[in-house]
Amino acid sequence: MRYLYIILAIFFFSSCEKILFKKDRGSVDPIENFDYLWEEVDKKYSYFELKNVDWNQVRATYRPLLSENSSEEELFNVMASMLNELRDDHTNLITPFNVSKYNVSLNGPKNYRVRTIDEFYIPNAWQTGAFKHDFLHNGEVGYIRYASFMSNFSNSQMNLILERYKDTKGIILDLRENGGGSIFNVPALLGRFVEGKTHVGYSITRNGPNHNDFSEREDFYITPSSGIKYTKPVIVLIDRGSYSATTLFALAAKALPQMTLVGDATGGGGGLPNGGQLPNGWTYRFSVSQILDLQGNNYAEEGVPADIEVAFDWSDLTKDEILDRAIEEITN
Amino acid sequence: MNEIFKCALLTLLMSVSSLAISQEDSLRTNEDNLQPAEEIKLSNYYTLLSAGLTHPLFRDFATSPLFYDGLGINLNASWLRRAENRERIFMIDFGISGHAARVPKSDFIQPGAMAIFGTFSLFYQQLWKLEVLSNSKNNTKIGGAVVLTQHVRANPSLQNNTMGLENFSNLMATVQWTRDVSRTQTKQLNLWLIKPVFKPVKRDLRILFNLGVLNFNYRPGYAYTYDSEIQGMETSPVTWAFSNYKWSLNGYRFRTQVEYVKYLPNGNARSWSYLWESAHAPGKHEPFQMASHRIQYTIYFHTKKR
Repeated sequence: MRYLYIILAIFFFSSCEKILFKKDRGSVDPIENFDYLWEEVDKKYSYFELKNVDWNQVRATYRPLLSENSSEEELFNVMASMLNELRDDHTNLITPFNVSKYNVSLNGPKNYRVRTIDEFYIPNAWQTGAFKHDFLHNGEVGYIRYASFMSNFSNSQMNLILERYKDTKGIILDLRENGGGSIFNVPALLGRFVEGKTHVGYSITRNGPNHNDFSEREDFYITPSSGIKYTKPVIVLIDRGSYSATTLFALAAKALPQMTLVGDATGGGGGLPNGGQLPNGWTYRFSVSQILDLQGNNYAEEGVPADIEVAFDWSDLTKDEILDRAIEEITN
Repeated sequence: MNEIFKCALLTLLMSVSSLAISQEDSLRTNEDNLQPAEEIKLSNYYTLLSAGLTHPLFRDFATSPLFYDGLGINLNASWLRRAENRERIFMIDFGISGHAARVPKSDFIQPGAMAIFGTFSLFYQQLWKLEVLSNSKNNTKIGGAVVLTQHVRANPSLQNNTMGLENFSNLMATVQWTRDVSRTQTKQLNLWLIKPVFKPVKRDLRILFNLGVLNFNYRPGYAYTYDSEIQGMETSPVTWAFSNYKWSLNGYRFRTQVEYVKYLPNGNARSWSYLWESAHAPGKHEPFQMASHRIQYTIYFHTKKR
């Protein structure tokens, strides 16, 4: 008899969590998935007020387009359209058959052509890890191309590059069409261009159910690197394709007097995106924070403006007007 | 909530029922007790090494409404001091498992998500004999335990929320019933041509139940994802990751173990256990839930007696 009790106890415990836990919320019901995503965004998205988005109105517009019989493709299209109302490239719906994207860079002209640079400016460039670089203008200017903040770099690589250009009058750091990446590569790079700990901005994060509920400001400091530093003028090239971590870099550069932004405004994307999953297994992300400049202004999501606005002239592909303007700024 | 009470009540009733049955049995086998009276007062020290196959599942409402089912292994080392009247154990446990999201079936292209789930636990428990529910065949002990558990989860499909971290720290009330199921006399089976002989052997059946009394959990802030204060390259990733975490005193945690121990003539022993554990951590914002089922093999090294 006692063994019967033991066996019963094992069966009892093996299913006990089914009694304790709430029901399994996995579901392919289109309305349930739509409501789940709408609520998650409503609870945590950070730019409703700044972008003047009426999220209740968005729900009223898109929810009636779905029924319990809607196909997965229809569900994707409706939810993607809903998310694109946020005008935010940090906001995506990710499924096995498609990924939604707003494409903020298409809102402005293209200002970067890699072949023009490679063919007519730095045909014999060095490629040191994530950086492509060479001298310009008879060795007076150093040009460094950093295509993505996703690419990490070592101290020794950075030391080599800055040692190479130590006798130049200035450096051009080309961040056009750099779509962002690791936030930690921003202070790693900027730390080469400051001599003391420098306060460059703030971030604030959603911390409550109201659209204007935000945390206290979190400081963003740049601290000097222990490696080789460069304290002469630095021109940073930006455009609408400079997004996310590159927008953060540009915002920080505004606080550093030796740095000048040339080109077009960045694409924005200052908010940190989260990540989550719907009841049907699809995943999503959207911004949950904002970045502010030293005065507390929030313009970064719409793009950090260039100090000197210059556009690429596509009628002559042998010249890069933005790069030429940067060279002029250093050499004159 | 009623279901939770029913579950706890049923557990309690089954424990008490088992005790009642075992007391009845003990009257029959009392005279067959193997341990001399003077010996049971001594403390036996053991070092335990265990390996287990585990089936955990978890759900973190902050990032997904879906359960993640898994399969993995647990390894642990324990130091046990056991006597008739008192016992204490300190255990270090490490587990790792691979999980798949319990995604409903798609009629288009099936989505999926995988996660790695690591646990690290420290467990200390001290028990005292409850004379009223003990006799020569049954030993019932009550006491308490402190359990500290850290989870580390990685789920790349959640992008900036790939890393999931939470801590459970619990003060638990404990009941342990040990039933002496030793074979006291030589026994021979008659299987026609084969007639195996079984010598007397000391064996225990042990049932342990831990119930969280004070349940602390350390869970993320409202947004889950943060770009906290950055101090250049001096920013500690650990500080950054935990900067918005908060302690909460809520939820529950249960832990049960059914163990069959067989002693060797040299004092060492080996055992098979079934362990079940469940925890619910509401935190301040969105809850985390987990449960695990484990089959575990343990070797007891008898280190000393005094």
